[in-house]
Amino acid sequence: MNDLSASPPPDQSAPFQRLHPLSIILRSMGTLGQNLFAIVVLHFSLLDRNFVHTGLAAAALIALVLGVTALIWSRFTYQVTSKEIRIKSGLLNRNNRSIPFDRIQDVSLEQKLVSRLLGLATVTLETGSGGGEDGQLDALSRVDAEALRDTIRDYKAGLNADAAPAEGQPTSEDQPSLFAMDNRRISIAGLFNFSFVLLAILGAVAQNLDFLLPNDYFDPRYWLAVLPGREMIDGFSFWMRIAGALAAIVALVAVGLVSGIVRTFVREYGFRLDKVESGQHGFRRRRGLFTLTDLVMPIHRIQAAVLQTGPVREHFGWHHLKFISLAGDSGGETDHSAAPCATLAEIDPILEQCAIHRTHSDLALQQVNPAFWWRGTIIATLLLAAIALGNGFLVHRGFLALPLLALPIAAVLFLNWRHHQYALTDSQLFIRSGWWRRRLTILPLRKIQTVDVSQSPLAHPLGLATVTIGIAGGTAVRPLMIRDIGLDQAMELRAALVSSQNRT
Amino acid sequence: MAIRSLFLLGLAGEIVLLVQLGTSPGLVLIPVALLALVQVLVLPGRIYRRWGYDMGDEQLRVLRGFLWRTDTIVPFNRIQHIDVAQGPLQRLFDLSTLIVHTAGTHNSIVTLPGLATNDAEDMRETIKGHIRQDMI
Repeated sequence: MNDLSASPPPDQSAPFQRLHPLSIILRSMGTLGQNLFAIVVLHFSLLDRNFVHTGLAAAALIALVLGVTALIWSRFTYQVTSKEIRIKSGLLNRNNRSIPFDRIQDVSLEQKLVSRLLGLATVTLETGSGGGEDGQLDALSRVDAEALRDTIRDYKAGLNADAAPAEGQPTSEDQPSLFAMDNRRISIAGLFNFSFVLLAILGAVAQNLDFLLPNDYFDPRYWLAVLPGREMIDGFSFWMRIAGALAAIVALVAVGLVSGIVRTFVREYGFRLDKVESGQHGFRRRRGLFTLTDLVMPIHRIQAAVLQTGPVREHFGWHHLKFISLAGDSGGETDHSAAPCATLAEIDPILEQCAIHRTHSDLALQQVNPAFWWRGTIIATLLLAAIALGNGFLVHRGFLALPLLALPIAAVLFLNWRHHQYALTDSQLFIRSGWWRRRLTILPLRKIQTVDVSQSPLAHPLGLATVTIGIAGGTAVRPLMIRDIGLDQAMELRAALVSSQNRT
Repeated sequence: MAIRSLFLLGLAGEIVLLVQLGTSPGLVLIPVALLALVQVLVLPGRIYRRWGYDMGDEQLRVLRGFLWRTDTIVPFNRIQHIDVAQGPLQRLFDLSTLIVHTAGTHNSIVTLPGLATNDAEDMRETIKGHIRQDMI
């Protein structure tokens, strides 16, 4: 394999390695699972329900998939040198990728249910470049995977890779964890993780299996005809109908709660956050019921801390701690969850490890301009009034009540305004936002990348401006913003933010 | 802007033809023509006047936008890499666009169009000296 590389690798001694042979089976199973449906379809259509033919077709498919997967496996090699990892892959289009250890943001080990049975683990290396994961080794044996992770972790500290695992292992196992969640805590987290995913799944199933349902299942007229006499419903007393509606709502809420708890259990089961002392200091997070993930994030890669909560959760003192870095949790998350449901007393020690302080002696949160809510309210009212007038006279009188909707909108905007605050200390910027989804972002000033002061046509006449802070990580859709503060204030704030930049 | 106005006029003509406003095409065409005139005669000047930049000792400041105004500061030592780009029209007038990339997720690309090519290259050299390794 070595003769293939155009430029000789810096460390010739490191051999090219293959993935674990069992990974062929692992990956074939995934492909076969996708093609199972095709076999079933074939069985009923082309093969005339002949079990022998179907069996032959299935055997041919299995042989084909296994062969191709084995071929791909044989052409996938990786080499770990002292500075970087090189991955060669591809059957026809050969791809030779090298990832310097310097650029790796974090390393995660993932074990799905099948890989756990086979003792394998998938290693994912994130560099934070745009397109998803950058290096994936699917899959190595658990021991090899951990050794690789330790090699990368120890690289920065200049430790010898051979010496590290012996003393690297006990530190994380024997020490008490920084934060862990027992089943009771996970249930609490699940209660606030209310979701209608289960309902959506049921809906999707119903839609896909609609050939099993009567033709007009989704047609209200069908129901009007089928229901045993509308008179019966009409005959119910007023209170009976109210009770029926309530029961429906309670059922909906119950479904939401249960699916929230189940989802949270699947994801967070056995949650444990440790500090990694050897090599590069970092956090190690393990969680998962079926799919085990084991993630190591170096502390110096952490850009900012986010404390999320809600009105009810905050009342009970629960917060969700997340870290923003260039890499994010799998499944489209942009941040790393570090403590899904914790009290502030539990969060403080975690933050202390990465030199972020939640409180400060002269922390004075400043409110943004009240125009934040009244401007929105006026616009909403005007819009609703226009619609109400237009439709009220042309369509139906009832539309004239539409402007009443402005009241809840105003209330929400007002509450959001009350909860939008910021504060600047000598080393950190605090931004609070949202009333329902409360976020407190704590950003060390040295992690700021760019600062924008922008004015929309609606803010400009009022002399207001919005400060947007560019950080490495987080969402591009909802960047870190301080909305609607005075232009002078914004300029001052930015000057303070940027001057602290140039000092470091 | 001129292209956008032509497009707008074309669209208006199309609507007139499609909807068959036969009797009074002016009802649509005149306001659209006015809008197009504003776009061609007034807006480019306003927008051009709002474009601005300031090369500080440690940071690049870029102002842009007429209705939606933005004022960006990028500290030099946060810049990851720099492009100097030139389109065919720009080449005709010896102009260039300076593009700086930061590691930020929001606003990671700050562009500054319409610089004289020499200036853009000088700025690139200045900024290059400040780029540091491994900031994140």
